[in-house]
Amino acid sequence: MDRRVCLTARASVALLCLLLASSAVRAQSELRWGADPSGGAPYVFADPANPERYIGYELEMVEALAAAMKRQPVFVPTDWETIVSSLQRGTFDIIVNGLEPTADRARLILFSKPYYVFQLQLTVRRTEERIETLEDCRTRMVGTLVNTAASRLLEKEQIPFKGYADPVGAYRDLELRRIDAVLMDVPMEMFYARQNPRLKPAGAPFHRGTYNIGLRQGDEALKREVDEAIDKITRDGTLERILRKWNLWNDAQAELSAPVPIGAPTGEERAAYDVTSTSFNWTEAILRLSRAALVTVLIAFGAIIIALIIGLPLAVGQSRGPRWIQALCTLYVEFFRGTPVLVQLLFLYFGLPRVGLAMPGWLTALVGLGLNYAAYESQVYRAALEAIPRGQWEAAYSLGMSPLLAFRRIILPQAFRIALPPMTNDFVALFKDTSVAFAISVWELATAYRELANASGEFLWLGVIVSAFYLAMSLPMAHLARRLERRLQRRQTVRTTAEPVAEAA
Amino acid sequence: MIHVEGVTKEINGNRILRGISFRVEAQTVLGIIGASGSGKTTLLRCLNGLERIDGGAIECDGVRLEGTLTAAEYARRVRQLRRKVGTVFQHFYLFPHLSALGNVVEAPIHVLGADRRTAETEGRELLTAVGLKHAFDRYPESLSGGEQQRVAIARALAMRPGVVLFDEPTSALDPRRVVETRALLRRFVERGHTMVIVSHSIDFLEGLADSLLYVEGGEVVEHAATATLLASPRDPRTADFLRQAH
Repeated sequence: MDRRVCLTARASVALLCLLLASSAVRAQSELRWGADPSGGAPYVFADPANPERYIGYELEMVEALAAAMKRQPVFVPTDWETIVSSLQRGTFDIIVNGLEPTADRARLILFSKPYYVFQLQLTVRRTEERIETLEDCRTRMVGTLVNTAASRLLEKEQIPFKGYADPVGAYRDLELRRIDAVLMDVPMEMFYARQNPRLKPAGAPFHRGTYNIGLRQGDEALKREVDEAIDKITRDGTLERILRKWNLWNDAQAELSAPVPIGAPTGEERAAYDVTSTSFNWTEAILRLSRAALVTVLIAFGAIIIALIIGLPLAVGQSRGPRWIQALCTLYVEFFRGTPVLVQLLFLYFGLPRVGLAMPGWLTALVGLGLNYAAYESQVYRAALEAIPRGQWEAAYSLGMSPLLAFRRIILPQAFRIALPPMTNDFVALFKDTSVAFAISVWELATAYRELANASGEFLWLGVIVSAFYLAMSLPMAHLARRLERRLQRRQTVRTTAEPVAEAA
Repeated sequence: MIHVEGVTKEINGNRILRGISFRVEAQTVLGIIGASGSGKTTLLRCLNGLERIDGGAIECDGVRLEGTLTAAEYARRVRQLRRKVGTVFQHFYLFPHLSALGNVVEAPIHVLGADRRTAETEGRELLTAVGLKHAFDRYPESLSGGEQQRVAIARALAMRPGVVLFDEPTSALDPRRVVETRALLRRFVERGHTMVIVSHSIDFLEGLADSLLYVEGGEVVEHAATATLLASPRDPRTADFLRQAH
């Protein structure tokens, strides 16, 4: 017993030393790199055979780079849309995620030399015959990843498009006919669409661009280190081997292997490959925010109407219906209150098409939030209805009213007055909850903020503007509700004049 | 006018009414007296159909309720009955979202389908008759207890019921208002209304009710002309109650 305790103690001390030592080493020679592994094939993604492990050509490339730099690679999973901000915040030191060196990004971060030449591929449904080139999409809806070379090209060409957070969602919506085409980098297209029998490529790959590694501004030393490492793995054929393994090698890559002098002016490189920048334009941004605000208002008001209409029968059914109706209503309420609205929206958007019901995103958000808030409204109604004394029902019945008439003329108006303040609360909350619609790629205000801010880095000022938009929508509603409340109140007490003299006499 | 035969009623296993029988002639006033828990309020609720009777029968102005009827048929007859019976509740139960006049015209307009203008003219007359000429547009919250009761009376009378039921009309009033209410009810009796008044106040019923019904333990102990019952109760239980009540 004693010996075992002793051994354990010695082992822990040894382990502690090891940990301390390793962390000290790590601090010196780590290469912390960030990428978005969700829907991230073939760049970096969870191994389908072993989801604990990440694989991907960029993962292998970073391992090779790190080896050349004599550093230990540490992968930091992150979110594509906020990847530049995360780099700036210091969550990791480099971005290796098929990042294109656009001019607007170049204002925020440094770029290494290119390591891959990509092209874009347009994909359509197998049965599609109208679309062969991007030109054919002018009146159609094209899906793409947000904040990519593809999305910027579409923006520049003024082709209507819808931004997705990952390629899976875009190709699925294409299958479901929610959109008409998808424009994506060839590596992603090869992995997610090429094998799909319901989809086909439209035309040949086009619009050349490069992937570069992103670094924080001021990290010149690390940039030199990275550039040298890229040169090394390009020269010794490591990069080619990795790309061939992932079936990503093509003749265009050979351009990069042509010896480029280290420290060549980056301006030239950018001129060669950067055709996808959009400079940030405040007027345009505010215009787009206004459009997003309109979508938000549409979703919120539609959802409010659904919630108001469905909430009432739910409340009545739950408190007065036959037992099986009560059980059904309770089940509905508990389901929608007990599960996150985000999960409900994803279910409606991606789950329902399985049974043949594919709604567009904005309608899904409208219906989903409406159904969700109906559950809450039913409880507000129920509490309000139960707050009406039984004597009110009895007085109405005694005057010969039917239950329906008594409900409509006597109970409901009183219950409405009680329900109004909590209802107002809920609807202000609903306004803000419309932001979950970003999960299903609806271009509402929160999505717009994320995308515009990620593209420009203007989180602060865009945030102020977006907050102003939200307040401009919710404050008038709160004000309106308060006025209505006060008016209802005044109706009751406006004439609390002193009793007439005749009465007192 | 009203004919009650052997009415029984059980609530949660307690036999509240144990075979009550009596008659009320048209244009007379019946006072129902008895201690708390004697079943007098339950009896009143059976008379306007808010409680269903288990056994016996109630007949009022041609509508007959029987304990043996099916639920649907019973409900149908209760709806007919309520056109003939008005109720003034102990706590009035005015509709707080409607003005005094709104309370009075609500049922004539929406139940009887009366024209709003006509209903309002009649409503104003009724409110004037109960002494509320100044309060047509006031809301219940701003009315005193006595005024609220008079709105409730006008509201019940607006449906032109053959019979008006009163549950404890004096309990929410101060003594001076009690005198006013009695005077008001007497005026309506003189105009030919039939009334059933449940009260524990014998003073209030004296000089208003034509006959008194003493209820104890869910049974009728004694039913006699008011003067007779008060002066010389035949049953010792009635005598006991009257002694304590005075």
